[in-house]
Amino acid sequence: MSYACIFVPDFPVEAILRAEPELRSRPLAVLEGKAPLEKVFAANASAIRAGVSAGMTRPQVEACPNLILRTRSSLREAAAHAALLDCAQSFSPGVEDTRCDTLVLDLDGLQSLFGPLPKIARALARRACDLGLETHVAVASNPDAAVLVARGFSGATVIDPGKEAEILGRLPVEVLLGSAENEDSAPLSETFHRWGIRDLRELAALPDVALSERLGETGIHLQKLARGAVSRALVPVEPPLVFEEAVELEYPVMLLEPLAFLLDRLLQQICARLNARSLATQELRLELELVNGYAEEIATDNGRTPLTRPCRAQTRQVFRRILRLPVPLLDARTFLKLLQLDLKAHPPGAPIVKIHLAAEPAKSRAAQSGLFVPASPEPEKLELTLARIAGIVGEDKVGSLELLDTHRPEGFRMMRFGCGEREGKSSRAGTRSGNSKIEDLSARLKSCPSPSLPFPPCVTQHCSEDLVTALRIFRPPVGITVTVHEGKPTMIACTKRREIHGEILWTAGPWRSTGDWWEQTGWAREEWDVAVQAETNIVLYRLVRDLLRGDWFVEGSYD
Amino acid sequence: MYIELHACSAFSFLKGASLPEDLIEACANLNMPAMALLDRDGVYGSPRFHMAAKKAKIKAHIGAEITCQAFSPQSAVEGCLCGEFRLPLLAASRLGYQNLCRLITRMKLRAAKGEGTAQEEDLDEYAGGLICLTGGDDGPFAHALAHGGMDQARLRTEQLAGIFGRNNVYVELQRHFHREQEARNRAAIEISRSLRLPLLATNGVSYASPRDRELCDVFTALRHHRTLTTAGRLLARNSERHVKSPKEMRELFADLPEAIANTMELSSRLKFTLKDLGYEFPKYPVPQGETMMSFLRERTREGFQQRYGRAEAELQDRARRQIERELKLIEKLELAGYFLIVWDLIRFARDENILVQGRGSAANSAVCYSLGITAVDPVRMDLLFERFLSEERGEWPDIDLDLPSGDQRERVIQYLYRRYGERGAAMTANVITYRSRMAGREMGKALGFDPETLEKVSAAVSNWEYRDANDAFDRRFRDAGLDLNHPRLRKYFELCVAVQDLPRHLGQHSGGMVICQGQLDSVVPLEPASMPGRVVVQWDKEDCADLGIIKVDLLGLGMMAVLEESLHLIRHHYREDVSLAHLPADDPSVYSTLQKADTIGMFQIESRAQMSCLPRLRPKKFYDIVVQVAIIRPGPIVGQMVNPYLQRRQGREQVSYPHPSLQPVLERTLGVPLFQEQLLRIAMVAANFSGGEAEELRRAMGFKRSQARMKEIEARLRQGMQQNGLSQEAQEQIILSITSFALYGFPESHAASFALIAYASAYLKCHYLAAFTAALLNNQPMGFYHPSTIVKDAQRHGLKVRPIAVMQSEWNCTLEAALPSPFALRLGLRYARGLREEAGQALVRQRQLAPFVSIRDLVHRVPELRKDELHTLAEIGALNSGSSFEFPVSSEKQKQLPRFARNDNEVNDPHPLTTSHSKNLKLHRRDALWQVERAVRRSGPLLDALPEPDSQSPLRPMNQEERLVADFRGTGLTVGPHPMAYHRARMNAIGIRMASELRGIPNGKYLRVGGCVIARQRPGTAKGFVFLSLEDETGVANAIIAPDLFQKNRLLLSSEQFLMVEGILQNQDNVISVKAARVAPLSITHAPTESHDFH
Repeated sequence: MSYACIFVPDFPVEAILRAEPELRSRPLAVLEGKAPLEKVFAANASAIRAGVSAGMTRPQVEACPNLILRTRSSLREAAAHAALLDCAQSFSPGVEDTRCDTLVLDLDGLQSLFGPLPKIARALARRACDLGLETHVAVASNPDAAVLVARGFSGATVIDPGKEAEILGRLPVEVLLGSAENEDSAPLSETFHRWGIRDLRELAALPDVALSERLGETGIHLQKLARGAVSRALVPVEPPLVFEEAVELEYPVMLLEPLAFLLDRLLQQICARLNARSLATQELRLELELVNGYAEEIATDNGRTPLTRPCRAQTRQVFRRILRLPVPLLDARTFLKLLQLDLKAHPPGAPIVKIHLAAEPAKSRAAQSGLFVPASPEPEKLELTLARIAGIVGEDKVGSLELLDTHRPEGFRMMRFGCGEREGKSSRAGTRSGNSKIEDLSARLKSCPSPSLPFPPCVTQHCSEDLVTALRIFRPPVGITVTVHEGKPTMIACTKRREIHGEILWTAGPWRSTGDWWEQTGWAREEWDVAVQAETNIVLYRLVRDLLRGDWFVEGSYD
Repeated sequence: MYIELHACSAFSFLKGASLPEDLIEACANLNMPAMALLDRDGVYGSPRFHMAAKKAKIKAHIGAEITCQAFSPQSAVEGCLCGEFRLPLLAASRLGYQNLCRLITRMKLRAAKGEGTAQEEDLDEYAGGLICLTGGDDGPFAHALAHGGMDQARLRTEQLAGIFGRNNVYVELQRHFHREQEARNRAAIEISRSLRLPLLATNGVSYASPRDRELCDVFTALRHHRTLTTAGRLLARNSERHVKSPKEMRELFADLPEAIANTMELSSRLKFTLKDLGYEFPKYPVPQGETMMSFLRERTREGFQQRYGRAEAELQDRARRQIERELKLIEKLELAGYFLIVWDLIRFARDENILVQGRGSAANSAVCYSLGITAVDPVRMDLLFERFLSEERGEWPDIDLDLPSGDQRERVIQYLYRRYGERGAAMTANVITYRSRMAGREMGKALGFDPETLEKVSAAVSNWEYRDANDAFDRRFRDAGLDLNHPRLRKYFELCVAVQDLPRHLGQHSGGMVICQGQLDSVVPLEPASMPGRVVVQWDKEDCADLGIIKVDLLGLGMMAVLEESLHLIRHHYREDVSLAHLPADDPSVYSTLQKADTIGMFQIESRAQMSCLPRLRPKKFYDIVVQVAIIRPGPIVGQMVNPYLQRRQGREQVSYPHPSLQPVLERTLGVPLFQEQLLRIAMVAANFSGGEAEELRRAMGFKRSQARMKEIEARLRQGMQQNGLSQEAQEQIILSITSFALYGFPESHAASFALIAYASAYLKCHYLAAFTAALLNNQPMGFYHPSTIVKDAQRHGLKVRPIAVMQSEWNCTLEAALPSPFALRLGLRYARGLREEAGQALVRQRQLAPFVSIRDLVHRVPELRKDELHTLAEIGALNSGSSFEFPVSSEKQKQLPRFARNDNEVNDPHPLTTSHSKNLKLHRRDALWQVERAVRRSGPLLDALPEPDSQSPLRPMNQEERLVADFRGTGLTVGPHPMAYHRARMNAIGIRMASELRGIPNGKYLRVGGCVIARQRPGTAKGFVFLSLEDETGVANAIIAPDLFQKNRLLLSSEQFLMVEGILQNQDNVISVKAARVAPLSITHAPTESHDFH
């Protein structure tokens, strides 16, 4: 049995260099974290020689001349890892994805195909190099020995069977403790250090029983690893489950109805395949190849992440839509309706020549209605309803309000509306949290306009407890011109809405609030409740003055 | 006119955001004639408020916001109103103030530190003389209105009127431009009219100016353990809680003029200020027929006989006259009780064999000397009594007692509590204020920085004493890798600056105690300290002094503990009874040691600066030590007195006096003023000041200096000197001396008290090195040097120091018999890092029962030892067979063992556990580590009981470098050769000289020295120069680094453990140092040696 290991040292750096090979000869440091507190996560050899080390902050390394700084990119790392997998899988079907920077290949039977083991090792390294990655490759008779040798020696190394202990013996003990499966054995590093065990040869030479008495099974396992004597089976990478269907059209489709017919067929096929594996889907990806060069790309996200704005890309001919669902579903009709609504809201804008539909598999939803849980709409129906509403009012205007804990007026954000709370968690908890939100909301509404507020402080006004004054909020607030005398507004005028105009009879206020002073988005405003003499009657308004800009608005009127 | 009657300061701790002085300043700027300070649950800020107000001629009303448990008489019927509210109370009279203090004391003392609420019955009991407001957002009215509506609010107001009296309740209105607040105001107006209670406008002030709101928000976030972002509506809605002008307030309450007018009316009713505190001097119980004064006279007479009985007649005469003068003043000022209380304390300490010695200005008093409070004879030394006590000053004497730090001091404190009762004695508080590091950490926390960033930003605040242009904040931020241009960091920086010096919380002063015969709680509220059994007053030392409260400072002095322990060790091991009072006065070996500056470990004269002065000053008698202690102080250094004095002493400069009349004052110090008393006397002689006036001058120039006051006194001083015909030059010199001395100089009496201790420490080091070193090591941390330096110094003086060994070491360092020197020092288990005392003591106890026969035996018999502690013991060689496990246990001894000390097998085994001893195995450190790893791994009850002798391991022994690393890592020092000793050949090859060689090398030679950096200093008085002390196996070499060289090698000089310094040797009067021209790191060891930096 022979195994090869491909190891990419300084993987985050290599992932960057793969994308920007021109930087390979220059000192490069990869930063991680949010500004202004980014820190060096990894660096290449020339950067380390220049004094850069992990944990240094951006301003510290910026002082280093000629140093190139890049932010750690998970996308690039994922791409590099995929490339590494491609490279390994092009040699062997049995590839273990040991770590993001380490792969192990089963080389059994490959000699007849690719030649002797040293040649395979070199070919692997070369292939990886062609893909833009500098790697260490090692071949040994067991996977773990191959991993250790690859981590410890650069270039391509082949160990003859029986020589594992000898070769491994030269490696420092840190290589063993830093390898993938021994991540939890960090305290052992301290023990070995205390014992003066520096390399694997010294560890291998310790008496088995005595070591077992001291370090237990872990110690013995490590010792076996150090001797290159651990034998285990590979855990090969499973090919991903792909649920994709596509159809190429002889004639371009221009209308939604024939497209729906085709989509229905594809959806039926995908749902049948998912059903066969007892799976559902939470994400549908639709790709439409268009006739001309016009394309529009947009992601439909009903979740919490903000929506990306549509962008026009003249160079691409593929129109993509992604439909994310709140719960895993498996109903072709629902999917179709959702896609129809989505396409209606976001038409591709050009005739379609190819349809490609993919579903991200997910485990089916298992839910049981509780006896005392109020009935809620079916998620499928709810989703459809929401999609319909969103089609009318816009996607960013659908959902449920979540009040933010702030003095800032309008301090809320839109949350995705759903019945998830009632499903997953206990109904009681859900109700309580719902109640507390309602209480919070009502408390805050109660604390807002007081019945007596429209009257100036000098007027004593006895209001009955049950008198309710409603405030009709203008959205957006209406910009006005205000005449101010001795710090108080005396006259208002509005060019857009002529009815908002007149002399102010009396005022209450100002009500001042300021906040978020520690952010760049600090705000300060002043509210006045005023009574304005309109043509026929007296109207009560709430005026707002932005204290930072000095603008006046009418925010609403009192009934 | 309007008066703010509801303000809180930063002494409400994380509530208000301005100091009381700032509130008063704002008040003065707005021409407000009075203000009331109501801090939360205390009067913490009132003395500073009072003192600031006094200066600004503003009336300071005192009160507090009291946290009350919500009460309701109808609770049984209508449901209890839950929660707490803050009740604002104002002291109208002294009775009111006393009641307020008692109320706070009661609620504080019955709860844990920082907690406590008042109950309705407490208010009933202490309502007299207090005026109650209905409060703001968290007041009783708002609380009742929010929880029970108008009915409850009316009921609550009626209750308050019932408790405090209808005339003493004001319905409070605040307008901060909040809608809901205005709704509450309307309810308050309605209720006040229906109950016929007066309205009162306040602004509920929390800070002096609107910009302080930011800090107030930060405090709110910190108080609720949130960040600014997550604090949400807990933060203030706007910035309106600042001190507003009467005009603004009148406009705000234009509809309710009576609410404004009532502030004046109420202010005129508040008669009480802190001037009227009512503090009475403590009384000392005296026998029937005696008065305190007669009793004091008698005790002084007895003391006089002891102190001066055998003195020459002239001295006796002078002493008698001085004592009589002092007693007359004491009688006049009615201070007899105070002196008797201190005398009683001294008597207790003596009876209990606790070393005690008065220091500070008390040593100027012959009465204190006679009573045994101080050890310096002020008459013989001609010390100035007025520095201690004077009639003009209007301040009370300050007696500081030095006690051995630790348990002994605690015993004296507890004695005071016992003697004067819980309400009669208390510690003074120590107000912990925001300083760089804490400010950095807390502001970062409020801004939501993660812990790692917090550590980084707070570390950016350097603790270098000297700050040059390169030490600017932004530079330090950049050094820490942070960009100050980022808005959030800029805001962070602003907050850090703004919060400096604001109080954070109340701690306990290390030794200040106030005593007040059983009625202290009517003077100042008391509260529990975090240390059990301790009670703390709400004011700090300075506040107590400002308000004329007498205090005794019981200061824990590490060196006193060292002296006491040394004497004990000498008695026990040397079999000699040494008494500090009877040490030979002029021991030649002591002075010869001092002249050589061989003073590591000695009190006050061991620092590098002291060492560089000693060879020039060459002390020959006790008074020289007094000068030595006083001269290396910022005062003489800033006042440029050091060099003239040394020059004159060495005969290189003529002794001259600014004016012939000053000769008697300055004669002893060769015409150069070195002590505070001399400056006082100069003022008296040269400018015709009285003793009290001179002391007033010192204080005016001192800590809380005021520009106006300084100018005024300086003018008087000049006028007096002009009248007496002093030259302009002499006048300037005297003014410079006074200004630099007042703040940083030593009083001669204090220097003399310290010199006594310094002499004792030097004497014990010279004659009883083993005992002194052991005591010194047992009382660390203290002094200037790290224990490793102390050990190396002792070794160079011939002391054999033995390593920690579990079979010999006690918890403390001890003495063992050794040849040829009488004693060797055995390091104590306390030096094993990470070893808890509990585990160490358990080990010693078990060993006393029977020696350990193997590591396994140790592990089983001392279960308190944790794995990491055993690892440390093994690593530092404390378990080495050579030194520990080679004692065969005789069968006789085995039989004597208690059953629990043996495991079951031992009882049945006729030949217990002797295998390893018979072989007398030599186990090295790694063998021990190997054994420990096995022993700590429990193998179940069956196998655990099996005896297992120690055996050799397959591990190789540690090499010399590994042993060094283990020693320094595990104990912070090594008893083996100095790390430099291993590399001497290499050092010689690169021309690095030994420290001991330098004495024989001529001045001006260019050379190299190298060693372990044991101290780095950058004193504020040295203009950016850095002083390094480099230790090698032969001694310590000093290097001077110029500012530009330091800037070029900042990182290297700040962090490198071993350094080579190349430069010119300077040998001036045997003060040897190398003026660095180049520095480079030395590769010696990876052992984590330590250095005392930046003192």
